[in-house]
Amino acid sequence: MLAVRAGELSRLGDLFERHHRPLFGFLARLTREPEVAEDLVQIVFQRMLKYRHTYRDEGKFSAWIYHLARRVATDHFNRRKRIPTPTDPTTFADVSDDGTPAADEQAAKSDELNLMQNALAALPSEKREILILHRFQYLPHDEIGRLLNISAGTAKTRVHRALAALRDCFFKLRRNPSAATS
Amino acid sequence: MNCHRTQDSFIDYQTGTLPPHENLAVRAHLKTCLTCQRQWADLQQTLLALDKLPEPEPTPRLRANFYAFLEEAPLEHVAPSPFALARSRIDSFFAAILPSRPALQFALTIALLIGGVAAGMRLIPPSAPTIITRTDPATQQELASLRARVESMDELVTSRLLTQPATNRLRSVLAALNENDSNDRTLAALLNTLAFDPSVNVRLTALEALYAHVDRAPVRSGVMTALAREPSPLVQVAMIDFVVASRDAQASPTLTRLTRDPSIDAVVRQAARRGLAQL
Repeated sequence: MLAVRAGELSRLGDLFERHHRPLFGFLARLTREPEVAEDLVQIVFQRMLKYRHTYRDEGKFSAWIYHLARRVATDHFNRRKRIPTPTDPTTFADVSDDGTPAADEQAAKSDELNLMQNALAALPSEKREILILHRFQYLPHDEIGRLLNISAGTAKTRVHRALAALRDCFFKLRRNPSAATS
Repeated sequence: MNCHRTQDSFIDYQTGTLPPHENLAVRAHLKTCLTCQRQWADLQQTLLALDKLPEPEPTPRLRANFYAFLEEAPLEHVAPSPFALARSRIDSFFAAILPSRPALQFALTIALLIGGVAAGMRLIPPSAPTIITRTDPATQQELASLRARVESMDELVTSRLLTQPATNRLRSVLAALNENDSNDRTLAALLNTLAFDPSVNVRLTALEALYAHVDRAPVRSGVMTALAREPSPLVQVAMIDFVVASRDAQASPTLTRLTRDPSIDAVVRQAARRGLAQL
């Protein structure tokens, strides 16, 4: 990143190769829309280039990239609130030919992975985000704390609460899969 | 320990990071409390299901779009920083006035060195005559031998420094000084080089030089610290080999973190797993 800051544009490609996959994973899980996540990854790297002069070689570069990614995601969600996007029914995984709403078919599924996906999606965004950062991006509590501007202890507590909420939601869905539609 | 505290401790209990007495307290509570047993079992199932979620995979569109952007990025986004611009202008100026062929560069450097020494001798007045004390023949012989050694070292260092790339420069300096020198300052300099030198080759050479001191705890600790922030997969693998060779069990947490970090190169993660198996 220091090389990019000094004007070696091609080094941004090295950063892309090393970081685009976990970055995409984070944004895809956060937005639950893989196609949107790809666009957001692109925006993160565009901003990396645009704001390269603000980069300070303090701490890990990954912390800076997650900071940018969160800002990009927030902008995306804010835009969505201002300009609601009509939902394209073909984006749902299971659209039956006879016109039965996809949600009912999905709710009928007892597949554990789908239940977990639904439970994760049902969490409030702050809880989902902190779980993603901890369980999927493997950020330690102190790094999560720095990212969210909270102490490491608070980050740890929030992770615990998010997991407890996920557990409750997961088992609620297990007992009543149709609850996913509510 | 009550149910509330026990359940708050579940994550730390699972990762083994609870203090021993709390660990025992949680275990004792779980043996007798059905509610907490249920909560614990539910949490395990939740974590298992969570960890089984597939990793989202980007389509080829992501890479294609990125490299298209990189190729067509507008000039205002890729304008070099003012410092880079100044540096490039300075580089261009010297490139214009200095010879480009290495042999000519070497000759010019030697000429400058000789010229500088000559100018110094003319400008700096000679010091007051020194009183030479008569020394015994044995001392004189020792002095002569030391003088010869210093002169030959000077020649070796000068010639190698001026003609060889960074890697050989570092190796030459270390070899010229003392291969077995365990001076703390030298080790600190090597660790500093390992952590901050911009050249991969120089960092690898510094690591190679540190092998002779692998038995020293500060050296091992310094290498592990550098491993955590090392960007080059090549150097990371070499550092993993180093910590494995040291047989230091304290390296296990560092290696474990590497195996779990998806941003780390796959080859490095594999090397870390292999290292863990050997530790």
